[in-house]
Amino acid sequence: MARFIVRRLFTMFLTMFIVSMLVFAIVEIAPGNVARNILGAYATPEQEKSMENQLGLDRPIIIRYISWLLGSDWQVSRRLGMPVKEIVISQGVVERYHQWWAVDENGDLVQWDVEGGKLIKLVRQPDGSVVQVLDDQSWKFDEDGNAYFWGLDTANRAALWMPGQEGTEYRLEYSGWIEAADSPVDYIPMSKGLLRGDAGISLRYKRPVSEVIGRRISNSLILAALAFSVSIPIAIVLGLIAGLNEGKPVDRLISLGGLITAASPDFATGILLIMIFGMWLKILPGATVFLSETAIFKDPRMLILPVLTASLVEIGYVLRITRSSVVEVMNSAYVRTAVLKGLSQRQVVLRHVLRNALMAPITVIMLHVNWFIGGLVVVESVFGFPGLGNFILNAALYKDVYAIEAGAMVLIALAVGTQLIADIIYSLINPRIRYA
Amino acid sequence: MSTASFQEDIARPKQPPQPVAPLPEQLGAARRFFAGLWKRVRDLIEIITASPTAVVGLIMVLFWVFVAVFAPLITTYSPLEQDYKAINQPPSAAHILGTDQLGRDVWSRLAYGARTILTLGPASVLVAFLLGIALGLPSGYYGGAIDETVMRILDALMAFPTILLYMIIISAVGPSHFNVVIAIAIGGAPGIARLVRALTMDIRTREYVAAAKLRGDSDFTIMVREILPNCRGPLIVDFLMRIGYAAFYIGTLGFLGLGLPPPTPDWGGMVQQGHNHMMANVWPVLSATLAIITLVIGLNMFADGVREESMRYQ
Amino acid sequence: MEQTPVLKVDGLAVAYKTRKRDIHAVRDVSFEIYSGENLGLVGESGCGKSTVAYSIVNFLGPNGRIVRGNILFKGEPLHNRSEKELRRLRGADISMVYQEPMSALNPSMRIQDQLAESLITHRGMPRSEAYGKSLQALKDVYMPDAEAVMLRYPHQLSGGQQQRVVIAMALLNNPSLLIMDEPTTALDVTVEAAVLDLIAELKERYQTATLYISHNLGVVARVSDKVGVMYAGEIVELASTRSIYQSPLHPYTMGLMRCLPDVDAPKGTRQLLPIEGRVPSPANLPSGCIFAPRCPHVIAECSAQRPKLIELTTGHHVRCIRAGEWIGKDMVWLDQGVSTEPCPDRDEASPEKTLVVQNARVYYPVPFKTVAGLFGLEKRQYVRAADDISLQVKRGRTLGIVGESGCGKSTLAKAIVGLEPLYDGKIEFLNMDISSPLNKRKLNVIRELQMVFQDPNGTLNPSYCVGDQIAASLRRFHTVPPDQVQGEVEQLLRSVKLDESYYYRLPRQLSGGEKQRVGIARAIASNPAMVICDEPVSALDVSVQAAVLNLLLEIQKTHNTTMILISHDLSSVRFFSDDVAVMYLGRVVEIGPCEAIYMPPNHPYTAALLAAVPRPDPDLEPSRVRLTGRVPSAVNPPSGCRFHTRCPFYMGDICKEQEPPERDFGGGHKIYCHLSQEELEQIKP
Repeated sequence: MARFIVRRLFTMFLTMFIVSMLVFAIVEIAPGNVARNILGAYATPEQEKSMENQLGLDRPIIIRYISWLLGSDWQVSRRLGMPVKEIVISQGVVERYHQWWAVDENGDLVQWDVEGGKLIKLVRQPDGSVVQVLDDQSWKFDEDGNAYFWGLDTANRAALWMPGQEGTEYRLEYSGWIEAADSPVDYIPMSKGLLRGDAGISLRYKRPVSEVIGRRISNSLILAALAFSVSIPIAIVLGLIAGLNEGKPVDRLISLGGLITAASPDFATGILLIMIFGMWLKILPGATVFLSETAIFKDPRMLILPVLTASLVEIGYVLRITRSSVVEVMNSAYVRTAVLKGLSQRQVVLRHVLRNALMAPITVIMLHVNWFIGGLVVVESVFGFPGLGNFILNAALYKDVYAIEAGAMVLIALAVGTQLIADIIYSLINPRIRYA
Repeated sequence: MSTASFQEDIARPKQPPQPVAPLPEQLGAARRFFAGLWKRVRDLIEIITASPTAVVGLIMVLFWVFVAVFAPLITTYSPLEQDYKAINQPPSAAHILGTDQLGRDVWSRLAYGARTILTLGPASVLVAFLLGIALGLPSGYYGGAIDETVMRILDALMAFPTILLYMIIISAVGPSHFNVVIAIAIGGAPGIARLVRALTMDIRTREYVAAAKLRGDSDFTIMVREILPNCRGPLIVDFLMRIGYAAFYIGTLGFLGLGLPPPTPDWGGMVQQGHNHMMANVWPVLSATLAIITLVIGLNMFADGVREESMRYQ
Repeated sequence: MEQTPVLKVDGLAVAYKTRKRDIHAVRDVSFEIYSGENLGLVGESGCGKSTVAYSIVNFLGPNGRIVRGNILFKGEPLHNRSEKELRRLRGADISMVYQEPMSALNPSMRIQDQLAESLITHRGMPRSEAYGKSLQALKDVYMPDAEAVMLRYPHQLSGGQQQRVVIAMALLNNPSLLIMDEPTTALDVTVEAAVLDLIAELKERYQTATLYISHNLGVVARVSDKVGVMYAGEIVELASTRSIYQSPLHPYTMGLMRCLPDVDAPKGTRQLLPIEGRVPSPANLPSGCIFAPRCPHVIAECSAQRPKLIELTTGHHVRCIRAGEWIGKDMVWLDQGVSTEPCPDRDEASPEKTLVVQNARVYYPVPFKTVAGLFGLEKRQYVRAADDISLQVKRGRTLGIVGESGCGKSTLAKAIVGLEPLYDGKIEFLNMDISSPLNKRKLNVIRELQMVFQDPNGTLNPSYCVGDQIAASLRRFHTVPPDQVQGEVEQLLRSVKLDESYYYRLPRQLSGGEKQRVGIARAIASNPAMVICDEPVSALDVSVQAAVLNLLLEIQKTHNTTMILISHDLSSVRFFSDDVAVMYLGRVVEIGPCEAIYMPPNHPYTAALLAAVPRPDPDLEPSRVRLTGRVPSAVNPPSGCRFHTRCPFYMGDICKEQEPPERDFGGGHKIYCHLSQEELEQIKP
């Protein structure tokens, strides 16, 4: 039993590992590269090249993958020969800035800049101000005698300066392209990596993805939990009723209803519900628009239609699974034994049918969680619900790569985790596994 | 008690004709082929007509197939023709389902949209089946390390919520007919591969496979000649189900704005655009919504009916 | 003494509704069972015996119904009773034992709860008392370690234990009527023997009226007082067990007896006489006697009208218009053409050896169950399916390999033909080394070594017609030029007694016996030197078994084919083999000429196997050499002699610790056992 769980945990991690590679591969290697996505079609090749360099996209794919997953700070720290540190500066209530600093031998937080060929060390003072110190003695030399220096620049990147070989840095600001001379020749963007909670900076929000995504996750979880707790009990009861009355009119009715709700695409169901309840009956907010991310708590009525839509599809599916499982168990030899033992219909159902018949749906429901989550993405989009699904959809439409990657990983981790829990529950209720 | 042994006797085939013509083998072969084909078709018709669900589903599907095939004959406007003087019109004699926010005829777009979904759906399922069979057949047949590797990758692919996988793929490669087909095929292939693998693992232990090995047949021959043909029952049912899913997802992708690039007539896209103008004119969104619902439900009912009947048939 | 029968079935007819028409599965069935009496109902598959059983408990499923007739339980009609009344009877006064004990028990409920439930429901017994009584019931059926079994789930028990649980459950409420539907069919022969002992003993102890359903004449002879023989939905003969077996009066019953191989008759002394034709479909019954189309004694009057079941002599009922002519005559063996004609080369002192297996081992790796295992950190474990096997087969002869399921006999066969790789050891065939698996063997070796398979439904590819499957072999091996393939296939079909019209049939249009024939035709298509038959008849009805065995024998005679016959059925092995090897848990425990194996001295395991064979003779005193316990796992087989955990002659440490020595009894007869030669000769099966 413990062995079984350990084994499942192991395969889960293996799966997530492969998933991370797939996500990274699809998003970043696919034709139509990231830099072009950001720059649009009118950038010059030089501009594009500079951008790729700044984003670290010209580095080998394996290194990029490792940096994405595990961070680049430790790699940079090794290059610099000193530790690096991320600090968060809060301004006001919500505004927060992340800054990367190196820690020098005095324990000061330092960054560097090069001006007119001179290396300048920026030392952060305890009050937050910065003192510039000339640091020209820190240049290092390779075997050909060329000077170079790896340091942290002021834009959260590790940068390689080489006097005499300065490149031109193109930066796209709101005002347009900015050309900066004297700029470093190579960059490594700083990050702590996905596994350490840093999913990179959203290209759309210009803020760390991890900060934007938190509220979205909890919103989605609330929606999912509500839909789940509404749909599963209803579906199981309906499935039982249908299965126990196999072939009778009530079974036909429930089965057909299940087929229709399960087959209808979520968005179509959602739109129809909006029309019926919002436009014609006018009893619920129809064109639901959540203006802020916390709006879902202000008017619970707004939640009714999204929950209903997400539930309907799930009800249809689960009731069909439950029904067929009940039918199968009802026709099994051990139910025949129970009947021929002289038990009443009620006793047969309660003692022999229920437990065995509900074992299959539990796994199927949990394996189905992917489908359910996919449905949530669509439901969130129909109702403009500020959840994770909508977040990923917008990221996908905007090609906000780090947001897509982080959102996808979170969503898949949720799905895989649920399946793991399902497996454990299943092994607990099924004696064949428990006593294997 | 089983009645199987009785039924064996009921279905006695007719004696095959004795070869007399100049090229007896070929002639006989051709005739047998058509006789066999006709028998299959008859079986299929019998299965379908035995299930009211399948019949209703088939009628719904055939309605849209008819609309798609004869789209040019049953519409008066081009689906792309914009008429700025008549936008968001309710149904009238000129436009039986009204016009959309760009003044395009809703019925025309619906009819041509049926063409889109009814070609892309089966096409993507077909590609998915090719992929799935290519992965699942060797995986199930050889087992061991090959199977383990393929299964881990498929597990990872199946860990993606399908919609998410499509979103990522389409956002990476951009929306187009081809890319939608590829995305849906990649999303469907793991499930098919698992089904084929499970069937193969079962069938490879059958004695006729051992018999084929005992005549020195190669692994490839055994997989293609002995195993694959005997997977066809479950695969056909799965194929029918998946056409329903494909239509479901093509609609959903269209709705999410990841489907076919405008102005291609696409039901999902129609729902999305109509959704934004719902207060002004409900007809475009309502008709597109009902179209996708009827088609997908029809496909599902048909597949479901066939599945249940064929289970009973066996 | 006039008493009311516990069960009286009178003119019962049952029909199943199918989409096309009603199928009358059972017609005009009448019998009575008195208290303490055991009525056996025998017949081949599909003859309606189970339908009779389920119509008594009114559990025919949604599409079955009783069309005519009465079922009286203790004088009161059973059907048309309310659900509630039926419930009170079921499990209390009438209980049932099923064919598949595993599926008859609820997989997610402990044994004690499944047992106690019956007592709580019917007697309102408190739970603790019900547990106590259930435990006693398990002990009454000699369940080893009954206390532990109470707490287990069904999947944790062996098949024999499961069936004991089902029997204990049926007996809990001291039923007046017990219905047993093939209770031992799913069990191995030694387990079957023990369960049959139990059933016979319980009858003496409880005086329960029992309806015992079986397809096996030997089993019924062992437990029943009266026997009803069913054919195509009708009882054709009903009499006391002794008169049925000694003087059967219906030609079908006679046919059944004639087609059974006799475990006590050596090869070549008896010919099996199969019943020609096949059972008519209930949708298409002949107008007169239903057996007339297959009856060797048919006369014109037979097809005039359906004969009635008449009492010909006291208590002996027969449904045959000519039965009266046969009273007092020894009809069973009437037209037995005794075939003692030897196979060619039979007298040759030491014919050359076609196959020599030396120390062959076939191990299957056990899949890793732990994470450590996945990384190769754990020692690989193996199922030792065949472990150190050595044997030889002489040209033109048959080696029989017997043993219960899981003993490794099929694995060994697969290793010989190359379907499983050898782990260790050597196989020589026609003086060539064929220790390599199939894909490394040359085509001309493969063609000389073919196989006939067990499962008639799996042996043919359902997608292709019969002829094409035989032709595939011919084409592949270039046995005949391409333009003669069709003719050769027809020739082969004729040689397995099928006419050429079978060429274009699909496997699903064939009966089980016909499929096996096609499988044989395919195996001999390349004219192989050796054919390995893996349980070729065990899935077939007895009347069909005879025909297939005869066919194999004929093929051996005509082509001088060397054969290996793998079977769990000692009777068919004796009928067919020249030499026999007995296997237990991957090892050969006894090997020798066929005659020597079936006579003392025997290995204790062989003796137990022989003792377990149900013989169709009610006067034979059942032997008491019985095995206990379950077959150990082949992953960690017992040390020393592998049989020591179950051996009735277990002698202590020597058996547990040391490999058994070879005891040579001459003529190639060898026994691997620690018992001395003298002790071995004392063992009587």
